[in-house]
Amino acid sequence: MTIAIEVDNVSKQFAGLRAVDSVSLSIPQGERRVLLGPNGAGKTTLFHCISGTHQPTSGRIVMFGKDISNVSENARTALGMGRTFQISNVCTDLTVMENLLLGMLGTTSQKWSMFRPVTSDKELIGKAVASLERVGLQGRENEEVKYLSYGERRQLELALALSSNPRVLLLDEPCAGLSPSERTHFSKLVSGLSREITLLMIEHDIDVALALADKVTVLHRGRLIFDGLPDEVQKNADVKEVYFGRL
Amino acid sequence: MSYRVIGIVVLAAILAAVPSIASEYWVALLTQVLIFGLLALSADLLLGHAGLFSLCHAAFFAVSAYTVAILQTRYGVTTIPAAVAGLVAGTLLAAVFASAVRTRGVYFILITLAFGYIVWGVAHRWASFTGGDNGVTNVPPPSLGGLQIVTKAHYYYFVLVVLAICLLGYRILTTSPFGLALRGIKSSESRMRSLGYRVGAHLYVAFIISGFYASLAGVLYIYYNRFVNPVAAGFPISVEAILMAIIGGTGTILGPFIGSGIILVLRNWVSGFFHYYTAVLGLIFIATVLWAPNGVMGLIRSWRSGNRGEGA
Ligand SMILES: Nc1ncnc2c1ncn2[C@@H]1O[C@H](COP(=O)(O)OP(=O)(O)O)[C@@H](O)[C@H]1O
Ligand SMILES: [Mg+2]
Repeated sequence: MTIAIEVDNVSKQFAGLRAVDSVSLSIPQGERRVLLGPNGAGKTTLFHCISGTHQPTSGRIVMFGKDISNVSENARTALGMGRTFQISNVCTDLTVMENLLLGMLGTTSQKWSMFRPVTSDKELIGKAVASLERVGLQGRENEEVKYLSYGERRQLELALALSSNPRVLLLDEPCAGLSPSERTHFSKLVSGLSREITLLMIEHDIDVALALADKVTVLHRGRLIFDGLPDEVQKNADVKEVYFGRL
Repeated sequence: MSYRVIGIVVLAAILAAVPSIASEYWVALLTQVLIFGLLALSADLLLGHAGLFSLCHAAFFAVSAYTVAILQTRYGVTTIPAAVAGLVAGTLLAAVFASAVRTRGVYFILITLAFGYIVWGVAHRWASFTGGDNGVTNVPPPSLGGLQIVTKAHYYYFVLVVLAICLLGYRILTTSPFGLALRGIKSSESRMRSLGYRVGAHLYVAFIISGFYASLAGVLYIYYNRFVNPVAAGFPISVEAILMAIIGGTGTILGPFIGSGIILVLRNWVSGFFHYYTAVLGLIFIATVLWAPNGVMGLIRSWRSGNRGEGA
């Protein structure tokens, strides 16, 4: 079985705080892994280490057998990694369409093209319209992102993460802050993604998480305290104490 | 869309008619407005599109002007090779100064400011080469394959044609994938990185292109002015270029030229009877920041969309 992502003994130290502490996990290709843990557990920090946003203090990140620890964030995207941000990070001064075009161009050499307008590529525009439809943003192409609702920004965030056709997709609390109906829509969207895509998702909503996950990993104070099947997670004593005990 | 085409045609017709309806004074002033507008536009490629506030654009402008002036007066090089050498010299300098894109925000401003001072210092102090405070004088009028451009009106037309070509190129550049990427970087650098962009490389290339446009303004300037001294490399020119872009409206093509028109007309008019011209400039800048943060173009845009809103 091919391992899509291997996190090998990764730690991240912020001044006096060890936000991620010697975490190792390995995600086979095509698996859907949900990362659980209370606030401040280090989930987002671990994501940043995998995506290359942060350089881990120690440890290695391996993607499809290639050590990418020293590969820059943008080059990891070119290798097939896509991600969303916990706090929507989209280009708010641009239109929805422009955001998506940037995403689609980002992993191609066309992003350097200077001699013709981006809108002259009808095929590209067509693809962009289709992917906006896929996340439910049809008809909003020419809206400036700053006028989008919170939920729409989350949809765009997902569309951007998918725009480079990633093999590995990292979703950081994609449903956080959404209304129940938006949430249902969103989890349907995620579960409808191709099974080729290896998915690592941080999710607070236990029901959403357990419905979607092939396997679950639980972090607490930067440490990995559980790694196993969704059925087992609720029975696990450690997890009950630190996670469900708080609910 | 058709409004835009009509606008461009009308504007072109007016600009073409100026030498036959206005005095030589106005033709010369308008030429100057166009040249400094181009310099402002070059700085605005970084400010309005990529979000970088550069204070060294006078350096490329001056190095290119000095290169042309020295080659023509001292070595007898003809116009076209001298102009090409000027463009190359200014652009190469931009390729060196582009290392400033490793920094952001106030550090970028300070580094470009320091770069600008280096060039001014060289122009000022290395008198044996640059002519010191006197600069380089007696630059001959440009001659293109036997055709000499002597009169102010002819040079004005020449500048117009060069500008038309440049602006078309600029327009395509800023609407291209590369130009879109610059605006993406201005909006969210971290998102662009995670979308696969090597942000530093994009900014580096943008800086060089911007330096090329500033150098082109320098070439047009030297043949307009026929002499160059360290003032051309000075900090006030870099600041004015940025102010022109902000007052006219950043991120637009017309804005820097409108800003250039406002500032240069004011300078020629106000400084005739009022000694504190720069104070007036300062007040205009403050007013812009307070009441029209998107400059004149921003005012026009909001006025137009306001009208449309009422009509609907
Ligand atoms: N850039 C940073 N600098 C310093 N501390 C940070 C930084 N980012 C996160 N932290 C700290 O690291 C811990 C883990 O944060 P985070 O990974 O965001 O947790 P989670 O996503 O699980 O809620 C928190 O205590 C947070 O305050
Ligand atoms: Mg988090």
